[in-house]
Amino acid sequence: MKQWLTNVLLETGEYIKENETVGTKVELFNLEITDGFISQIISAAQPIDSSQQVTDMKGKLLLPAFKEMHNHLDKTYLSLPWKAVVPAKNLKDRLEKEARELPILATTGKQRALAMIEKIISNGTNHIRTHVNIDPYIGLKNLEGVLAALDDYKDIVTAEVIAFPQHGLLQDDVPKLLREALRNGATMIGGLDPAGIDNTIERSLYETMDIAHEFNVDVDIHLHDGGHVGYYTIDKWIDIVEEANYRGRTAISHAFALGDVSLMEQHTIADRLAQQQIKIMSTVPFNINRVMPPIDLLSAHGVDVHFGCDGFYDSWSPYGSGDVLEKTTTFADITRKLDERSIRQVLKYITNGITPLNTDGQMVWPNVKDEASFVFFDAVSSAEVIARRPIDRIVMSKGKFIR
Amino acid sequence: MCKLLLKNVRLEEAYEYENEHIVGTRTAIYDVLIEGGHVQQVDKNIVVDGDVEVLDAQKQLLVPSFREMHIHIDKTYFGGEWQAPRPITKGILTRIEEERTLLPKQLPTAAFRAEEMVKWLIAQGHTHIRSHCNVDPQIGTKHIEITKQVLEKYQDQITYDIVAFPQHGLLRSNVEGLIREAMTMGATLVGGVDPSIVDRDIERSLQTTMQIAQDYNAGIDIHIHTPNTLGEFEFYKLIDLTKQAKKEGQVTISHAMALADLPQPQLESLVQAMASIQMDVTTTVPVAINRSTIPIPYLYDNGVNVSVGHDSLTDHWSPYGTGNTITKLNIMAERFRFMDEYSLSRAWKYASGGITPLNDKGERVWPKVGDAANMLLVDGVSSAHIVARRCPISTVISQGKVIHQQEVGELKGEFR
Repeated sequence: MKQWLTNVLLETGEYIKENETVGTKVELFNLEITDGFISQIISAAQPIDSSQQVTDMKGKLLLPAFKEMHNHLDKTYLSLPWKAVVPAKNLKDRLEKEARELPILATTGKQRALAMIEKIISNGTNHIRTHVNIDPYIGLKNLEGVLAALDDYKDIVTAEVIAFPQHGLLQDDVPKLLREALRNGATMIGGLDPAGIDNTIERSLYETMDIAHEFNVDVDIHLHDGGHVGYYTIDKWIDIVEEANYRGRTAISHAFALGDVSLMEQHTIADRLAQQQIKIMSTVPFNINRVMPPIDLLSAHGVDVHFGCDGFYDSWSPYGSGDVLEKTTTFADITRKLDERSIRQVLKYITNGITPLNTDGQMVWPNVKDEASFVFFDAVSSAEVIARRPIDRIVMSKGKFIR
Repeated sequence: MCKLLLKNVRLEEAYEYENEHIVGTRTAIYDVLIEGGHVQQVDKNIVVDGDVEVLDAQKQLLVPSFREMHIHIDKTYFGGEWQAPRPITKGILTRIEEERTLLPKQLPTAAFRAEEMVKWLIAQGHTHIRSHCNVDPQIGTKHIEITKQVLEKYQDQITYDIVAFPQHGLLRSNVEGLIREAMTMGATLVGGVDPSIVDRDIERSLQTTMQIAQDYNAGIDIHIHTPNTLGEFEFYKLIDLTKQAKKEGQVTISHAMALADLPQPQLESLVQAMASIQMDVTTTVPVAINRSTIPIPYLYDNGVNVSVGHDSLTDHWSPYGTGNTITKLNIMAERFRFMDEYSLSRAWKYASGGITPLNDKGERVWPKVGDAANMLLVDGVSSAHIVARRCPISTVISQGKVIHQQEVGELKGEFR
């Protein structure tokens, strides 16, 4: 199926404004989409074959669709009545509270995940990486709900579903349950704080890698453990990845420890992470007790960093917006990016690395054969979109308008 | 028409407990009658004869409106084209130099943009605006004129303060005369900025500021960004001057960054001294990596009132800013880890001039007969819910009149 999108605003380069600041050059184009991919990009001044379906985009700016890279579709209260977080004394207490609530929430798993997916895609996201609890209390129930919800959206949202041992890997029959989850639709294996939760760093990491190997799946480990215990855990994980030939197939989520160590240690581990192509997933934390991982430093060393909204409206966090673009706004603001160039580069953290202009200001996206998954904004540059975070958006996934 | 009857409003009544934890907020549906800008009656099923405007709230929550306590409506890109700021090379002086040419160039659009900002702030639920207004050698008092003219246009909708703000330094740019002129033109507060790093004469800068305030019988709101012991030193100087001038309760420090840096014993002494003269503080709740957030709950609990402000929506200082105070409270909540119903609910006071529907003990204290009718209808079921989920405002009521209404889609209540 062919269609045209006309009067699409694309960023084509940079120019120096009258006031001597860098501005973004934009021009109008017509894009032909064939079977979900771009098949032609021509100037808006050129005529098009109007026998095909034509949508006038009226000068809206085109950006690549966003990727939500750290979420918990199974935990949200969305679609249920408002509820704040119940105070907990510590992590153990929080986990016990969750354990009591899990069986109750499991009955509405699909309904809640659907509401969450709806919210996430309406903001311009067409890929979701979700962790799903696999634990002794509900077994695979949450996985069933999440998979059923994702199945309803399979034409427009791609997903990675991570079997996540939220209540610890090395207890009861959790390893067995995780294996069962991987046989039943989970596509990746997760992990959680080998020191803080499992109380054994090496055995926990090796067990995770063993399962990954057995099922030939990628890995994404939650690591909240701070300071040098977290740093060691990452360092040890890099050893294991090296031994197992798992380069490019693993990720560490949160990785708060990277913010706690010295600059020299940050440089050292960034190089190691880059060598093994280990991704870092961040939710851009700014609560007063946290130091954010050194995201720009990691990126400069060649480490792929991706943002995610994390779980929200759930027993862990009452806030959030489901808008991964807001993570870039927050990140740019927190790291004091003020000028056009430095702001626009932040987009890469939510688009799997794609930015319309490269660091030198040359146009590198979109190209013919790229997937037609886009978000359209009333804006004149990526930098404006990041700084101002417009709410009105049109979203296209694989050639289909979804909002 | 001077009577307004709000039918079916949801009011917070008490906290709900489960094993001695607060887990929710109990609400009930009431009617609220407003007359002459004040609450006249709060009851179930109020019936009024005669001339009355009736608004069916459809069970939306009634909450106190917001006060925007730190903004610059006179120099903004808001309402204009997108423009990213220049990179900073010389700290605050980068911007001061930039303003010498930028602000005169922006004069033709200044009134339009100021008005766009006021309209936006009203739509976000603000019924009071405190705007700092540049008084500098290039602009003179033209921004005062523009700000006053724009705010006067909205005086039947909002109350306001205009701070005569010597952005380029009271002494450094030699504008004492202009500030005095601004005070005669209708500025209501004397402003100031960093007596040390901008004026480079802490004593004389603060003394002159206080002298002007005394001469015009006005309060003070001074920007102090300096860190740790330097800020502390400046605060104490200002506290002394405030006592001498008997200006207790009339002095505000904006930003007050030093409060974020001081270790506990020093902080405690300073906060006590500030509280003793009812000095208050405004903050934008900065979360930037190289700036700490002042300990807002600690300050408030120890007698120093804290108010939030947006400072900028988008201008040559910063491209960020929403003007949305519910979002601001939400960010504050995340920053300070207010996660449960109680702590989320207590955040409202930082944006409303201290007014909350429930007091700390959970007793309903608002709205009461005689209270000023500055209020919002929001599609949510508790203050905590609104702050956490950023529920939308449908109606803004100021001084007993509906001044703004907006479409929020289908009402979702507790499911939002």
